[in-house]
Formats: sequence, structure tokens, C-alpha cells
Amino acid sequence: MGNMEFSGIITPMSSTVLTPPRVNRPNVVAVGTIVWLASELMFFAALFAMYFTTRAVQGPEKWAEGVEFLNIPFSALNTTVLVLSSVTCQFGVFAAERFQNARTGALWQLSKWGMREWFALTFAMGAFFIGGQVFEYAELVHEGLTISSAPYGSVFYLATGFHGLHVTGGLIAFLIVMIRVSKARRFGHSQATTAIVVSYYWHFVDIVWIALFSAIYLVQ
Amino acid sequence: MRASYRLFLFLFAFYAIVGGVYTYMGGEPLGVTAIFLSAGLALIIGYYLWFINRRTGGVLPEDNPNALIADGAGELGFYSPHSWWPLPVGLSATAAGVGLVVGWWLTLIAVGALIISVMGFVLEYERPSNSPFGADSHH
Repeated sequence: MGNMEFSGIITPMSSTVLTPPRVNRPNVVAVGTIVWLASELMFFAALFAMYFTTRAVQGPEKWAEGVEFLNIPFSALNTTVLVLSSVTCQFGVFAAERFQNARTGALWQLSKWGMREWFALTFAMGAFFIGGQVFEYAELVHEGLTISSAPYGSVFYLATGFHGLHVTGGLIAFLIVMIRVSKARRFGHSQATTAIVVSYYWHFVDIVWIALFSAIYLVQ
Repeated sequence: MRASYRLFLFLFAFYAIVGGVYTYMGGEPLGVTAIFLSAGLALIIGYYLWFINRRTGGVLPEDNPNALIADGAGELGFYSPHSWWPLPVGLSATAAGVGLVVGWWLTLIAVGALIISVMGFVLEYERPSNSPFGADSHH
């Protein structure tokens, strides 16, 4: 209202007069999430550093004994599901940007899906990934690789386990978004922002997994 | 916002170069990982600020030397005026941590309490009857 000067003409009070000049500010929630994700990257940096340091100290022969336990085709399938869940998550964001919660067509009409359907599918794929990881852990423990059996086991379970906890946190975040939007009287910008920042988190966790998968399963 | 993203992209370039030099000089894996992922940290923020700057036009009043204080007026976001929810969130997070020392049973209970209190925290303003800002918080 700094531009309002008394000009001798009394204009009627209306909302247009009182509205301050619109500033196109970056969304504070989104910027805060990005800064937090950058700090999350450093958390995973510690896990990567732990993995690579232990690998260097142990030497290739000892390492190969641990790597032998891995079921690479199964983990590759699991990884594919997680990567594709980022795609479905992004379609959910597109729906959230249209403020569309529920689908407007039949269930098989993907183009009519709302945020709810896309995020539910993303949730299912993320849950598949966690289920697959639990299955993988059970197999490895059965074969004799535990968190205390060898240094390889310790770094393997710590790195992939902390990532799994992050995915689980993301699943809870998807539930919260879906509950939040269904409880809101209207699908507005604040609900869309929640959906968008959860998608940032999900993409981040997905990228971290690609790096972890490359390091642990591919480079070994 | 130009200064903001340039600062972080400069940091990205700096860490990337230092990481390359360190690797070339035969750096050990811990330092290599830490320096390169520091570059990643700066890149995430720098890229996001550059992207937002491009999308919003990037003319914030704080970047304009001739701007008035009043030009920055307007809504910055929604901030809760008062809430009890951070307390149970903090208490259950504490209990989850203490449980790692005392016993796993406490962590299990605390994680359940944490989920409930986080739900309360984020859903507090979604009850239409209790909503302080009406149908839509954003204008």
C-alpha cells in the first residue's frame, strides 16, 4: 500500500484497492523441503562413505565373499518398480496441479485419473519395494549374511536399511497427503503444495536408491 | 534471487573441482564421497533456485535496489498461530531414540505414538469446522 497517496478523490473501499502488489515469491514450503533434502543427501553421504571406506579397508577378496550373497536379478526387478513409482508419482503431481483429487472417468481410463489414484498406485509400488526388501533380507539372513556376521553385512544392512526407512517414511507421507486432501474442504494451493513436496522427497529417495543400487549391486 | 542461485552453483563448481583434484591426487574413499556429495548438496539447492527464478521471473523486491519495504508485503505462507502438536511429536521422537538405549519395546511404542502425533500435526488445520482460514488457505 506504499503507492497510495491522498489525491483528493475518495475512492470507495474495495478489495482491489487494498490488495498489495502481487509478488511472485517462491513457495517457502517447497524451498524448505529442497534445503532439507540437500541435508538428507549428506546423511546418505555418510552411509556411502562408510560403504566405500569399509570396502577399501577390507580388500577385494573379503568383499567378494559378501557380494556372493546378493540376488542381483531380484533386486533389479525391485529397483525397476521403485523407479517406475517415481513416474506414477509425477502423474499424481500433474493431477494435484490441476487440483483434481478423484478420477473423472472409469478406473481403466488413466488419463482421467486424479491425484488419489496415482498416489495410491505409487504407494502400492513403494510398498512392493519394501516388501521385496524384507524378502531379500530374509533370504540373506537365511543364507548367513547378517548385520553382525561380517563387515560387509553391517554396511549392506545399514545402507539399504536406512534407505528402506526413508521409503517407509515416504509411504506414510503419501498416506498423509491423501488423508489431508480428502479432509480438506477444497483442493487448494496448500494441498497441492503438500503433494508436490512429497513428490520431491519421493524422487530424491528414488535417486538415492539408484546410486545405492549402482554402488552395491553393479559396481560391488 | 540471482545472487542466491549463483552462490550455490558456484559452491557446486568449487566442490566438483576440489573433488576431482582430490581424486586425482589419490584421495581415500571417505573424502572423495564427502566432497562430491557436498557438490550434490549445493547443486540441489542451486538448481532449484535457478529453476524457480526462471519460472517466477525472479523479480523479488529484495533484489531491486529501488524497492520499498511495502513492496514486500503480502502473504508469505501459512504459519500456525498456536499448536500443541509439536510437543507430542518431540516427546515421541525422544522416546523412540531413548528406546534404542533402554529397549526395543519402547521404540516400537514410540514409533506408533510418533505416527499418530505427526498425523495430528499435519492434519490440524484440515478440519473444516476448525479451519482458521476458511475453504482455502492460499490466495
